[in-house]
Amino acid sequence: MMRYTALLLLGFLFVFSGCEKDDICSDTSPTTPRLVIEFYNVTDTDTLKNVTNLRIKAQGMSDDITFNNVNKIQVPLNPGLDTATYEFIQNGADTDTTNDNTDRITFNYSRSTFYVSRACGYKLNFQLNTTNGVVIEDNTPADGLWISNPTLVQSNLTNENEVHLKLYF
Amino acid sequence: MKMKSILSFTFSLLFGGMMAWGQTTTPATKDSIPVKKDTVAPKKDKYGLRVGVDLFKLSRSFYDENYRGLELTGDFRLTRKHYLAVELGNEKKTVQEDHFNFTTNGSFIRVGFDYNSYENWTGMNNQVYTGLRYGFSSFSQTLNSYSIYYPNSTFPTPLIAPNTEFSGLTAHWAEVVAGVKAEIFSNFFMGFSFRLNYLISEKTPATFANLYIPGFNRTYEGRFGVGFNYTVSYLVPLFKVTVKDAATLEKERKAKEAAKAKKMEAKLAREAKKKR
Repeated sequence: MMRYTALLLLGFLFVFSGCEKDDICSDTSPTTPRLVIEFYNVTDTDTLKNVTNLRIKAQGMSDDITFNNVNKIQVPLNPGLDTATYEFIQNGADTDTTNDNTDRITFNYSRSTFYVSRACGYKLNFQLNTTNGVVIEDNTPADGLWISNPTLVQSNLTNENEVHLKLYF
Repeated sequence: MKMKSILSFTFSLLFGGMMAWGQTTTPATKDSIPVKKDTVAPKKDKYGLRVGVDLFKLSRSFYDENYRGLELTGDFRLTRKHYLAVELGNEKKTVQEDHFNFTTNGSFIRVGFDYNSYENWTGMNNQVYTGLRYGFSSFSQTLNSYSIYYPNSTFPTPLIAPNTEFSGLTAHWAEVVAGVKAEIFSNFFMGFSFRLNYLISEKTPATFANLYIPGFNRTYEGRFGVGFNYTVSYLVPLFKVTVKDAATLEKERKAKEAAKAKKMEAKLAREAKKKR
């Protein structure tokens, strides 16, 4: 009995030694999703088309994100506001500025908060508006729209495993 | 965190030593002056109500500004080896996690029994025990602040301070206890215990979780948790019970057997009568 108790105490000590902070939010946990956009060929609408040197920049933010030779991109929405406006600059990631074409896309949405876990905290889900969820405008000065026919596939953004928006060019 | 671990470890060692000391302080009963008959004074066990306080929670309330807690302990000796045990208390704890900050506030009670496996010598009242508890807590959780977790985002995530209180929460759990208690002065005990907790059920807030439960402590992904207390207690002695020596026990056993045999005999006689 005595030996058993001693063993049990040792066991408890072992359990206690594992009390260090070890929980980190893993990549597989469901967290706030970004908007997933897939690019398609405007002349052959069933075919995916890669973007080359695409640069996107959120209005009011200094950081930009660049994509090259991909047909699927992830765009973060503003977690502090119900709207986010991006400049989609075709060929914007290369050094040549003469071939740039800028389209402005405004996303309008509502946000809902969900608790995930101790490590991940809270996440948002976005619901893109049905009337003005995605609005494409030309840049000023006008250089013509290079993106056409935005098609919302999934207006309810809960994860990044599915495509939310299709764009054609 | 590490410093605290070292501190508690050192204290544990200290009390291990105290336990050993407790064993030597009480002198064995000596046969006084001229021995005429070869008799030993009957061994007597103290029975009573022992009340105490958890020093760990109490002291932490002073050095940790994010913690306030009190735990009172009590046990009542039922038999030679069994004790009815109760712990009740109150805790308020504020925790800063990576992406949010919350405060838990509430009261708890644990009821169960301890089994003393330590064979005390005459005059000693130490305990090396294992036990079981049923725990219940009634508490509230307050989400003080949070910021949305948004990896790979270029946008700033603002800190939101909703101060939402989720009240009327409850939890039920079971504990396996292992610990020691040593009598350091007459009727004064010091001891510590470790607990392994298993959460049976809980009422969680709609948009939050019970990450800390008063009396249960931190919760993990599964249902298990751990606990610890470090008590100083005082025994209010109520009565003494003479411990039966081996000869008496043998006599009792024989008497019991004889009674059993007699009963059996009577039963057989009755059955034989019926048959006739």
